[in-house]
Order: sequence, then structure tokens, then C-alpha cells
Amino acid sequence: MTILGEVALWIALPVALWGTVVSFVGGRFRRSDLVLSGERTVYMLTLLLVVVSVGIIAAFLGNQYEYRYVANYSNRELDTYFKVAGLWAGQRGSLVFWTLLLSVFSSIAVFLNRRRNREFMPYVSGTLLALLSFLLVVLLFADVNPFERMGFTPVNGRGLNPQLQNYWMTIHPPTLYLGFTAFAVPFAFAVSALLTNRLDSRWIAITRRWILLSWFFLTNGIIFGMRWAYEELGWGGYWFWDPVENASLLPWLTATAFLHSIQIQENRGMLKVWNMCLVVITFLLTIFATFLTRSGLIESVHSFAENLRIAYIFLGFMGGLAAFSAVLIVYRLQSLRSENQIQSFLSRESAFLFNNLLLMGVTFAVAWGTLFPLITEGFFGETRNVGPPYFNSVNIPIGLMLLALMGIGPVIAWRRASRRNLRKNFTVPVLAAAGTLGALALLGIRHGMALATFTIAVFVMTIVVTEFWKGTRARARIAGEGRLSALGSLVRRNRRRWGGYIVHAGVVIVFTGLAGAAFDVRVEQEIAPGEAMSVRSALGTDYRLVYESLSHSRPRVATGERENDWRWTALLTVYRDGERIGILRPERRFYPVMESQSTEVGIASTAFEDLYVIPKEVDLESGSERVTFEAKALPLVPWIWYGGLIVTVGALIGLWPAATVAAPAAARRRSRPGPLPAPAG
Amino acid sequence: MTALIGGVLLAAGVALFILEPVFSRRGAALYGGDDDFDEGAARRRVALTALRDLEYDRATGKLDEDDYEGLKLELSREALVHLGSGLDAGEGEETEAARAARQLEDEIAQIRQAIRAGMQCASCDQVNIIGARYCGHCGERLATGPGPGDASSDGGAS
Repeated sequence: MTILGEVALWIALPVALWGTVVSFVGGRFRRSDLVLSGERTVYMLTLLLVVVSVGIIAAFLGNQYEYRYVANYSNRELDTYFKVAGLWAGQRGSLVFWTLLLSVFSSIAVFLNRRRNREFMPYVSGTLLALLSFLLVVLLFADVNPFERMGFTPVNGRGLNPQLQNYWMTIHPPTLYLGFTAFAVPFAFAVSALLTNRLDSRWIAITRRWILLSWFFLTNGIIFGMRWAYEELGWGGYWFWDPVENASLLPWLTATAFLHSIQIQENRGMLKVWNMCLVVITFLLTIFATFLTRSGLIESVHSFAENLRIAYIFLGFMGGLAAFSAVLIVYRLQSLRSENQIQSFLSRESAFLFNNLLLMGVTFAVAWGTLFPLITEGFFGETRNVGPPYFNSVNIPIGLMLLALMGIGPVIAWRRASRRNLRKNFTVPVLAAAGTLGALALLGIRHGMALATFTIAVFVMTIVVTEFWKGTRARARIAGEGRLSALGSLVRRNRRRWGGYIVHAGVVIVFTGLAGAAFDVRVEQEIAPGEAMSVRSALGTDYRLVYESLSHSRPRVATGERENDWRWTALLTVYRDGERIGILRPERRFYPVMESQSTEVGIASTAFEDLYVIPKEVDLESGSERVTFEAKALPLVPWIWYGGLIVTVGALIGLWPAATVAAPAAARRRSRPGPLPAPAG
Repeated sequence: MTALIGGVLLAAGVALFILEPVFSRRGAALYGGDDDFDEGAARRRVALTALRDLEYDRATGKLDEDDYEGLKLELSREALVHLGSGLDAGEGEETEAARAARQLEDEIAQIRQAIRAGMQCASCDQVNIIGARYCGHCGERLATGPGPGDASSDGGAS
């Protein structure tokens, strides 16, 4: 199976090159047979890449350590699902996986458009196939072939990094990769629109849902990554401004900007060049994120440093794509002229524009901070890092402004808003926010950023809830429906708008959760079995942890197998305000194959806060079984995950295909729609 | 050996499938499609959607009369400019775009009807927000809305 996979990889390259050429030639010279051949190539590449991927997974499952990639990322004792996940554990496999996902999305795009948008399709498949060809060339000729053999067969592999031996590792990278690769489709449509000079609202209409799909996966991928960091890295945080985290954030930021600015183009025919640039930039950033993840170009918790050559190849490729896109955009500037101008500073357009500026500001700040080590090394010969303080001090204020805009945008009128309009819509939310600020200040909260976050969060939430309430009431009145069905039909009739509001509500909750970090409490103590430690959270909850016992487990020793890891598990009974709420089992693990250790934290979660217990040190030598625990009371952390869930729901509502309302037969017989209704009054 | 045979078969199958159109001169469509896109229809739909939202904004009291009238004029003009685009696909069949436009128009008409029936004051013509029981301008009691059952739920909410 593995050899067949290797053969399939070699077959894939000429196939992809053929498809690229015939698609472009077929499109240019109107040869429909060549276009069809190109589209079939897309399907066949997916098939071939499935064979390649199955080949790699088979090598992992069959412990074929003669393959360098398998030997470097697996060992015999590893759990089966981590062996399957070996496909994306390292750089080589990740590239194959990226290519596979790209080909799957390409196939879906070609299939969905087999009978529509035909003018675009030759160049769409051509562009996608060109990207696939590039990746295949890299896989085969840039020392990253996953099927490379070592000339000898080690008895056992070197094992998978313990930090990756966590179930989030099987979920987080694929989700992120789905987001990255899905964005290639809008990019291909953008290139096709530029090449064919069909720059009306069509390509936007076609790609909007693809971009939202990509955004959906990116959002979830990032949140899963935060969850992975929270559970596995064991320091009680979820975001470290690590280069790879940042790299996944960058395309998310620009895609978010695009999802907003696209509405100005749809409604007002403006910002066409800008939107085109955003698509290109976002796509380039997805590539950047992909290769940064495993290239070791910048030190990070994710980079298991490998060869740097691939980084330069990808940088060159990005440069080429950027230049190509820039030339195309400049060439078509005439067709991308704006049809309108912003009429007033007080308008939804300018709120959207401001949103874009802020998002680009964050993007730039994050990119600058991420690349800073490279820049200093290039110019001054020494690597300097900027840490979380830099990112926080720049991004938190901008983030708060963005948060406020989430409230302002939805209620400010398109084109121009009058002062009356503003007064009417902002009085209640501003009063609610001011009340919150006052109440929190009275409660003795003095942390500036947290106060600002909570205040703005209440402002935005008031607006979102009011919008839903008023909209539902109006709908109920107008259509004569009950409240619940009115809410349903309200959302159904404009999924993007109401789905967007739900996303905003989710983001507000995430921000509130993030601000909770200002009130973390930590206690570190060395205790023996039978002893206890206490921590009092900022929300006033008293936690008491009773250390019951320490057990040493070797899970599969009974079956005669060698174990993948040795575990020391502490048993802790948790009391909240004197009431027993459960048991935590934090662990220290030792991985004999990798000769490294890891920590499995214990988390007791409630609706408002987490108790997070880290076994920092286990005293094994004296036999006393004393353990140094670090216990953290982390307020509002669960809200990050709840908020993330709400964001997901909102995005799904926006993504859901609009149900094609079956027109009643009588209405269908009406040969033309009625005239524009007469204005009221 | 099996792998080699498998590889050869795989390559042959793939080559046959992708080259077949070239030999048999079968092709994919180069133009149009099921739902041929019409720029005018798309613009009209956007304008009508905005108009529909505008009506809601007026009904919920987000916009007052002056703002509403000004924006309505601009949006109606935009919708009218593209009237006639993408209306007929042929024999009495409505295109997707036309149906969407018609549904939006029906909805707009419905909202305006509701406003006339329930929220507009009979004595001074003031348009009151949804849920109001008395005119905000002259204090006259307003007629109840058209829907069954909603009057009671309104009462419950207020």
C-alpha cells in the first residue's frame, strides 16, 4: 500500500501539470474538450492524493521505520489514532495533507459549478491545478518526500512529541488546514474574474460562501488550538502570541476584514480594488501560515525545526503569487472603479471602513511582532524577540475598539446617519454600559482594560439583544406570527445579518472571557498525601484541594507490551465552599522513547470559572510522594469556549444554504413580478 | 510486484479518464449555466433587500421618518433602474433571481401594509413604532395590528 502511495505521488505531478496547461489553454482558445479534461484532472488528483495519504498512514500503522518520516514521528507503542494523525504530525506529512485537502476543495468547487458559472471555471481549475502542481513539485524535489527511505530500518521510531499526544492534536490541525485550503477557492475565482475581466458582483456572490466556510474552519481551528494549549501546555493560558498561533491569526484577521468590506461592495459598489487585495493577501497569509507551522523559520512551541530550504521556496512562491496578482489587479484597475463615494462620516459604510482599518492595524502589528526576530537578524545580525507584552499593549486597545464597532455598526444607518438616529439608538446601550462601569467600579474592580472590556461588552450585548427583540416583535406584528416563529423567520430571511449578530454576541462573550485573565489567582504549594491546600478565586469562591494519593500506572504492562508512557497520577478531592464537587487526576508522564516528560493538568470547570491544577514536581526519591501543586483559579475562562460555540452557531447560520422557498403554483404562474409596492402614506 | 501492477493500472486508469474528452471530442460547457447570472438582477436584489431592511428599521423605530424617506427614495431608484433584468427565463418560468425579487417585494408590501393598518395614526399620520398602543405625536389610541394573537403577546411583553 505504501509503495502504491509513492507511485501515486509520482503519477500526480504530470497529471497536475497536464491539467494546468489544458485548463488555461482550453479557457483561452475556447476548447471545451480541454476544459473538461482539466476538470477531470482535478477529480483524479483527489483520488491520487487519497492513495498517497493512505500509503503514508499504512506506513505508520505498519511501523515501517525504513521511511524517515515515519521513524521521526512514531514509535511502536504509540496509540493507533496518533499513528493515523501522523499524517499531519510533521512537515512532510503536513504538506501531503495540505495538498490532499486543497484537491478535495478543488473537486468540490469544480463539481458544484459543473453547470453554472462556466465562464469562470477553466481559469478556476487552472489556478487550483497550478497550486497543486507547485505543491507536488515541492513534495517530490525539495527534500520533503514523505516516502524517503533511510537505507536501514531502525528497530523503533523516535516517537511523537508528547505535546502532540493529545486528542486535540487529532482535531486542531485538520480544522485549521481546512480553513487554509478552503481559501484557495475564492482566490482561484478572484484570479479567474481578473483574467476574464468579469468583475461585476458575480465573483463576490460565488465566493462569499466559500470565504465564510474558510472563516468558519479557521475560527474553529484557532479556538481548538487555544483549547489544546490550555489543556496540554499546562501553564494555565491559552494564547501565547507564539509565531505559529499568530500565523493562523493573520489570515483570520484579513478574512474577517473581507467579510465586512464585501458588504460595502455589494451595497454601494465601492472598495472593489481593496476587496480584491484582501482576497489575495488572505490567501498568501494562509500559505505563510502553513509553511511557518513546520518550517522552523521562527522558533515556536510548534516548530520541530526542520529544513529551512522549504521556507525559502515558499517565500519565493508567495512573492511570485503576490507579484502576479498585483499585475493583474493593476491591469484591471479600470474595471474595478468605485461606483459611489462615502456620503457621510456617520454611516454604516464608514463604520465598516473603520473596522477594516482596525483589523489591518492588528494584522500589521501581529505580523511585525511575529517577523521581528527575522527582521532584527537580517538587519542587526542578532535575533530579538518581542513577547506577549508587546502584542497585548498594541492589540488589546485595537481589539476593544473593534468590539465597540460591533455595537455601533449594526444600528448606524447606511449612507448617512442623522444625529437623531444616533441618539435614538445609542441612549439605552450607553446608559447600560455606564451603569455597568459604575457598578463594577463600586465593586472595587480597578483593572483598566478589564473594566473597559466589560463596559463595552455590555454596550454591544444590549444592542444585539435589542436588535433581536425589536426585529422579532416587528416580524410578529407584521406577519401575524407567534414570537418564536417570528424569530425563526426573521433569521431565515436574512441569515447573513442575523447570523452575523450571533457571531458578534459570541465574540463579545469570548472577549469577556479573555478579560477574566486580569483576575487570575495562583497558589503553589508542596504537600504530602493526606494534606490539603486552598485557593480563593477572584469571584470569591473558596477551593480546597485534598491530596489523597499518588498512583503509578503502566497501562499495558500486563499484556507484555512496552508502554508508550509511564504515568504518576495524583488523586485530589476538590471542595468548593466546603462542598465536595469531585475528583481531579492531574498527571506527570514520562515518555521513555522520547526521553521527555509532560504534564496533564486537572481542570474543574464551572459556569463562571475554572480551577486549574498543575502537578509541577513529584518527589519520587525520598518515597514521601510529596507533590508540588500549582492551583489556579481562572475566572471566566469557560466563557471563551461558550463564546466560541456561539460564534460557530452564528457562522453556521450564515453558511446554511438559503432554503429555496418553493413558490406556490399560483404565484409561479404570474409571468412577471409585481411592480414596486407603492410607498406608504 | 503487486504494487507495481497496481501503480500501472492506476496510471492507466487516470490517463484514460482525463484524456477521454480530448479523443472523443466531448466537452464541458464554456458559457452560462442553470442559473445564468444577471448583474442587473443581482443589483436589484441587493437594493430590494436593503429596502426591506429599511422598512423593518422604520417599523422598529430605528429610523425616523426623515431618514426613512430619504433612504427609501435612493433605494427605490436603484431597484427601479434594474427593473426588467432577469425576469424571464422563457415560457412562463420564473428565474431564481426574479422569484427572489418578487418575494422581497411582497414582503416590503406586507410591511408597509402592516404599518398602514396598525402603526400609522389615523388622525395625524404619524408612524409609530411597532408595539405602540397610543400615537407618540397626538396621543390618539392606535388601531390594532392585522395579525391574530399578537396583540395579546404584545400586551404580555409591555
